[in-house]
Amino acid sequence: MAVGMARAGAFIAARSMLAFVFAIFLPVGGVMPVLAQGTPGIAPVPKACAVPNGAIATDNTLPNVAKALKERKKIVILAMGTGSVISRGAGGTPFDVVEKLIEETFRGVDVEIVNRGVSGELAADAFERIKMEVALSGADLVLWQLGMADAMARLPVDEFKSTLDGAITWLQEHKVDVILVGLRYAKGLARDPHYQSVRKAIGDVGAHRKVMRIGRYAAEETLAKIRQNEGVELSDVEATDASYACMAEYLARAIAAGLFVRQSPAGGASPKKAP
Amino acid sequence: MPRTVNAVDFWRGFALVTIFINHIPGIIYGWITHRNISFSDSAELFVFLAGWSLRHVVGPTDDPRPLQHVIYRVGGRAITIYAAHMTIVMLAIAMLAISARLSENPLLLEWHNAAAVFQDPARAHIGLVALSYQLGYFDILPLYVVLMLTAAPLVAILHRTAPGLLLPLSALIYLSALVFKITVPTWPTQGQWFFNPLCWQFVFVLGFSMSRERGPGGWVRANIGLVRLVAAPIVVVGAVAVLMRWWPDPTKVPEPKLLFIAGKTFVTPLRLGHFLAVVAVFSAVFPWLVRGIPGIVGFLSMLGRNSLNVFCAGSLLSLAAQIFHFVFGRGVVIDTLLVVAGILIMGATAWLSEWRERARS
Repeated sequence: MAVGMARAGAFIAARSMLAFVFAIFLPVGGVMPVLAQGTPGIAPVPKACAVPNGAIATDNTLPNVAKALKERKKIVILAMGTGSVISRGAGGTPFDVVEKLIEETFRGVDVEIVNRGVSGELAADAFERIKMEVALSGADLVLWQLGMADAMARLPVDEFKSTLDGAITWLQEHKVDVILVGLRYAKGLARDPHYQSVRKAIGDVGAHRKVMRIGRYAAEETLAKIRQNEGVELSDVEATDASYACMAEYLARAIAAGLFVRQSPAGGASPKKAP
Repeated sequence: MPRTVNAVDFWRGFALVTIFINHIPGIIYGWITHRNISFSDSAELFVFLAGWSLRHVVGPTDDPRPLQHVIYRVGGRAITIYAAHMTIVMLAIAMLAISARLSENPLLLEWHNAAAVFQDPARAHIGLVALSYQLGYFDILPLYVVLMLTAAPLVAILHRTAPGLLLPLSALIYLSALVFKITVPTWPTQGQWFFNPLCWQFVFVLGFSMSRERGPGGWVRANIGLVRLVAAPIVVVGAVAVLMRWWPDPTKVPEPKLLFIAGKTFVTPLRLGHFLAVVAVFSAVFPWLVRGIPGIVGFLSMLGRNSLNVFCAGSLLSLAAQIFHFVFGRGVVIDTLLVVAGILIMGATAWLSEWRERARS
């Protein structure tokens, strides 16, 4: 966990700069391009992860993170879920990338990411651990990669939805923001009805509870099609690597955008399609 | 000749079967395992019984075996467990890889934390052999190896030199880990050991201490009626609390929070206390079970006598069942077949292990 420097002046300057850039961008497009064309103040998504004309994250705000940012200049992020977190070269783990990007965007802010993901864990079991880990870490935000274990176990989708709904409600009651990171794309699962139902359930519950979702599946599907059109073929290993690298980029920008929408005078960008 | 049927082997066999079922997420028969009416599950039972069994290695209180003998025995056991762990992990990785290939689903390659093996094989293999990298559901044997290499020799030494210090010292390590939230990190994947050895060693030492004729174990034996009288309401209240989901809200409990909440990684006091109460109460039923269901007791005892081999088989069978679920779906018929076939194969593994022993002698 990198230890950020609490430099309030720099933080305020960064916010002002972001607001200024936002004000410039807004009249041009009318819609804040949350991720696809780059969030103001944060570097554009790398080309390999860029999805043309597509919103990857919904534009829900992160009020509790914003509050923590304002009051403590520190954000504690709890990473939960089924993804494997491996350090990828000099860039570090996907969460290192998220941490770095947020700290660069909001100078003077200390971001602490507590990774407590357990690969293969069902959402119901993760929910029980989330309660404990939130209490132990004092998290302001939970990044939750979910659905894969439940989809693999072929658990009833209604059960999954109910668990997810309960978990989000609990987090909201405890003033903790949550970002749902949805399922990964795999060609072989495009016609798997159960897998698609789980994917839809994440979108539905997230939309109903108004929490931010990262539409990883849609982004990866689009990127796969682009690569196919360009005649680029990735191995399974390369595709997974690319998936996690892009997820980190999307997450960092989603968090920044979630904060920015809240803080900007024009807060409340046009709604984006749910993933 | 195999050991005669006894409570330790029986309960270990019981734990093996429930671990097998619990390691198939979403299986219909998951509701029959005791974790649905208890804060603890079979992991506590398994580790507790491992500590209990250490008494056979250490020897009687009045005539303990030579220290060198004990250290060689537990060291040898650690190597055996380590080799078994490596074997089943490699087989599990191969099972995931084969399934991914056959089903053309690359996501299987990252299931149960396996992604590092395929994404970063060099570091992942270092992590695998160093036990700092563990697959999901294949994380209890690394704990055993660590316990055998560290806790077991210390238990043997302290038991000879300062038996009164053994439990307090173990409790001190346990409480320190809880109060200061000390975890053991994993590598190259980012995270922590699912079974925190600093906490789980206490379960192991408790198992050993309770097995002794003197000290805390002796006191419990002498006052078992009173202990059960106190334990019974704890078991009932705990069961009702779990059924009704009367969990304390972890954010509302005072610091140090781990002392007041239920968590498996740290085997928190809530889990541990309820587990000990369950042990106290259910240790009474074994004689009845022997009389009432001798066939099942005999079968489970056979599993318990060959626990390492059966555990390894069960772990792989659980993974196979999960893959089966993914490919063919789930339902009453499928789940029944999976559980019955799994338990029969575990039985065959135990029988074959004993047949080999008999053939050797």
